[in-house]
Amino acid sequence: MKIHRLGAMAITGSLVLSSFTAFAGGGAASAASLKKVTYAYDFPGPDFELIPVVVAQARGFFKAAGLNVNVVFPPNTSTTTKMLATGNANIGFLTTTDMAVAINAGAPMLSVANFSMRNNWALFAKPGTSLSAKNLKATLKGKRIFSYGDTWTEAMLPFVLKYAGLTSSQVKIVTDPTGNDLVALLGGRVDFSTSTTNYEIPGFEGSKTKGHLSQLLGTAAGAPNIPIWVYAVTRSYAKANGATAKAFLSAVKKATVWAAQNPTKAATAFDKAYPKSGYTNAYNLSGWKLTIPFLTNSAGQYFTQSDAQWTTLAKALKSIKLIKSVPAASTYYTNKYLP
Amino acid sequence: MRRTLLRNVGIPLLSMVLLFALWQGIVVFFNVAPYVAPRPLQAIQAVTRDWSSLWPLVLATIRETVYGFACGTLLGLSLGVIMAKVPFLQRMVYPVLVLSQAVPIIALAAPLVLILGFGGTPIVVIVAWIVFFPVTVNVLDGLSHVDQDLVNLARVYGASKWRTFIQIEIPATTTSLFSGLKIGATYAVTGAIIGELVASNGLSLAIYQEHADSNFNTAAVYGTTMLMTAIGISWFLLVVGTEVLVTPWQRRSVARRPLFHRRAAVVPPTSQH
Repeated sequence: MKIHRLGAMAITGSLVLSSFTAFAGGGAASAASLKKVTYAYDFPGPDFELIPVVVAQARGFFKAAGLNVNVVFPPNTSTTTKMLATGNANIGFLTTTDMAVAINAGAPMLSVANFSMRNNWALFAKPGTSLSAKNLKATLKGKRIFSYGDTWTEAMLPFVLKYAGLTSSQVKIVTDPTGNDLVALLGGRVDFSTSTTNYEIPGFEGSKTKGHLSQLLGTAAGAPNIPIWVYAVTRSYAKANGATAKAFLSAVKKATVWAAQNPTKAATAFDKAYPKSGYTNAYNLSGWKLTIPFLTNSAGQYFTQSDAQWTTLAKALKSIKLIKSVPAASTYYTNKYLP
Repeated sequence: MRRTLLRNVGIPLLSMVLLFALWQGIVVFFNVAPYVAPRPLQAIQAVTRDWSSLWPLVLATIRETVYGFACGTLLGLSLGVIMAKVPFLQRMVYPVLVLSQAVPIIALAAPLVLILGFGGTPIVVIVAWIVFFPVTVNVLDGLSHVDQDLVNLARVYGASKWRTFIQIEIPATTTSLFSGLKIGATYAVTGAIIGELVASNGLSLAIYQEHADSNFNTAAVYGTTMLMTAIGISWFLLVVGTEVLVTPWQRRSVARRPLFHRRAAVVPPTSQH
């Protein structure tokens, strides 16, 4: 789903170290009195969806909340949940599908806040390609569709295919967890790519290819309109550290609001925190700007979760046999720690 | 015979059983959650439960390994012989070969997919890329250490260059060749799995494992890892078995008797008074 860059993955180790040392340098005397929190991102390297946490660090929101937050990166996108479950991280950034399959497997996870509020996952095609919900069957039949093999794409693609009146055997799903969907798409190796708009469009802009990327939002073709990313903890961590979870969300909310109002400064703060992320300032700025509209719900609220979003997701995942049963929405989330 | 069987099969089997017991013991003793690390039996069950889906993927991985191994062996053998016979070419090509192996295979995979497309071809190329180097180096090494006295003797008897090559040099390199093949066999399956991860055109064993990991099905992740390991070990043993069959002189100084040889009539010695 995110831009998979081998270079970015390769320098992850040094980034983890640099983020740790940079943070450790911010006043040894006061750091001792701060509550230590390990925050696990959902991707092996940093990118613009880390901006709220970066801003909370840079502008001292965490410190003001009494927290010393250390950011860590998983070795792959499937490991963040396991890092939380095994106590290697306290608070994590996950997709809602990862949450649901983790709970289905018995992991005691609890979502404490939404990051984004709606589904901006989409199908993309080369500029000039006709891609609309109307003629989807004819457009997709027999074609090669790129997937990173992530749970979100695995969950959304069947809805689009069902909407189009196709089965998975009538298209060619090319799964490449380590590849780059845009390179495969623009290089003609696949006919369609799948990603979220906030990652795919900045990537396309960076490729300097003429025209506009053709896109069809999944929600326009049968996919449920539900949040993609959440902040999560384990139930035991929430029970023992409820105040910490609340302080973390309070600082991150302040940072999110500030970053939404000041996207240029927020992207610059990210570049400063992670100068070797492998992404340009233009990419980070464009990506963050495209993320902002998805951060609030129709009432203008940040973070607030609902029964409906989790029930819709669970039903959707059960229908494609990714989970066995649809538990009560409260199994997945709580708004108790929202600021 | 029985003692040899016990030593060659029994001890490795016992070590495997102990390894599984240790795994089971650690998981049970530390009460590890199944989504973190499953028990061995759970991993095996995950494989058997979905065997009908897994079997075609296992066959595909074996096919990719065999094709890549064959291509890599052929290329490695040819290059080794050519380089041994043309020293100028050896000086020119050898650094390129070393360079080819210094390139991380994962970095090579992405451009390969762009050039060759998704599917079996880039996977076979990746396996061949991994296999050809140890074969080339070992063949080259073997040919440079052929007993010159034997070569001279063959020439004294009037053997042509071709005959000397076929009857003296090639047999003399088999030990080195099989060393290279055994190294290649060990890495071939790893190459196929890397290839599947980056170039699969549809579902493959590596992608199945990736999906299982994404879906928190840790037992299936461990189960497929065991399957991949089994393919790797089987392939290695196949090469070792072939070596035993085609190089009998490595193990015994006299020729093996035919399995069904006719017993010669024995005439009892006549007693002399």
